[in-house]
Amino acid sequence: MLELIDASRHYDVAGRTVRALDGVNEPFPAGSITTVVGRSGCGKTTLLRLLAGLTEPSSGKAHHDPARSIGVVFQEARLMPWLDVAANAAFPLKGRLDRAEIAARVDEALTLVGLADARRALPRQLSGGMAQRVAIARALAQQPDVLLLDEPFSALDAFTRRSLQRVLIDVWRQRSPTVVLVTHDVEEAVLLGDSVIEMEAGRVVGRVPVDLPFPREATDPAVVDLRRRILGRLVGGADPFAL
Amino acid sequence: MPARRILTPATVFACVALIWWLAGRAGWTNAYLLPAPSTVIAALSDLVASGALLKHTLVSLQRVLLGFALSVALALPLAVLMSASRPARAVLDPLLEFIRQVPPLALIPLLILWLGIGETQKLGIIVLASFFPVFLGFRGGIAGVDPKLIEVGRIAGLTGRDILTRIVLPSALPELVVGLRISLGYSWRALVGAELIASSAGLGYMIIDAENLARTDIVLAGILVIGAIGLLSDLALRFALGRAFPWLSTDLEAARA
Repeated sequence: MLELIDASRHYDVAGRTVRALDGVNEPFPAGSITTVVGRSGCGKTTLLRLLAGLTEPSSGKAHHDPARSIGVVFQEARLMPWLDVAANAAFPLKGRLDRAEIAARVDEALTLVGLADARRALPRQLSGGMAQRVAIARALAQQPDVLLLDEPFSALDAFTRRSLQRVLIDVWRQRSPTVVLVTHDVEEAVLLGDSVIEMEAGRVVGRVPVDLPFPREATDPAVVDLRRRILGRLVGGADPFAL
Repeated sequence: MPARRILTPATVFACVALIWWLAGRAGWTNAYLLPAPSTVIAALSDLVASGALLKHTLVSLQRVLLGFALSVALALPLAVLMSASRPARAVLDPLLEFIRQVPPLALIPLLILWLGIGETQKLGIIVLASFFPVFLGFRGGIAGVDPKLIEVGRIAGLTGRDILTRIVLPSALPELVVGLRISLGYSWRALVGAELIASSAGLGYMIIDAENLARTDIVLAGILVIGAIGLLSDLALRFALGRAFPWLSTDLEAARA
């Protein structure tokens, strides 16, 4: 199981120690979909990087099963500028599967993100949102056991964001990978998570189970209520909607 | 657009030729110091007819291509080695930086003493002149690879070797291409310089020999040929690189040797 055990990550910035992550204990059970929400700089990205194995904890442990494959969608698309859309989506698979299998997976993933017609385009010909969708397709084509996403939809317009949120839920329901999604959008956290982790100043300050069936609607009173409660805690106890 | 890309430079060259011709015609210039375009063209056609131009050009081209290829063959592995290994950098960096500061033409006397006046000495000069742009361009390209792309490779479980071949080298290609173009230009210039000093064939030799015979028309014809071949070889290199790496098209426009 994916798990952080008393995990901390400190950085030295100009002689001062910055605690990006401070003693986090969280399990991420197999097949769960967890969203992590908090303000900018609260340590969400650091938490994800520890789970991805891209950053080592300064103390404590990030436990992952080495046999399980990991797919990551970063905040930026991070496409290889010399590869076209299809080759970018195929990048992690090249040399691991036979060509036909790679082509089939890439086709499927590009269709899911709505870019089936752009497969021959080069990254410099894509808008920021399209590039991000290629990055999402690249992670989906991997069909990973663990899917880690860092603000994957924040560069997208509202319509595309909504449809890709649905794609993510569909993929999760079909293949049940362990999903951890980091976002600063509380509504997105409630719409997508089977539990929401609240973070503040490098610490986990709350874990809220979300017992609502998928697909969820932003206008559902239960979603609205949960969103209001989480937001209220994260802005310091005050109800942001109270006048 | 391609028509204009040929038309504009052609017009510029035609205007220069016209001014040149007018200057001679009006008696502003001395016909011995600056022969008229027609005289130079006549000298050029004599050189073509006698086969002398072809012979000298082939000799020079062969030297340039060999020297340039040698430079590239040395520079690429060395750039990879020095990018990957701290001890290699510590040992080789000061030495290479020292050599880089010395103009290759200043080494000609020494190279003649060490390597004689044959082909080896000319290759030596070309390598000295053309090694650094490829080497530094490639190293700069490797150093400039976006660490975020390397993380994508790490997530995909690539080995260090795969990260080198699938991420680092393609990333470094635009800067390598700039280095290659500058190197090719430097090879060509250094060679002509070398042939001016110690040679019995080649375009540089053709020019210095004509100067000794007071044939400024041949000198000018030689200069035109050298410039034209330089331009053409750069075009050919850009064309080949553009074909091989279509995504480089903007980078190819950026570099001028």
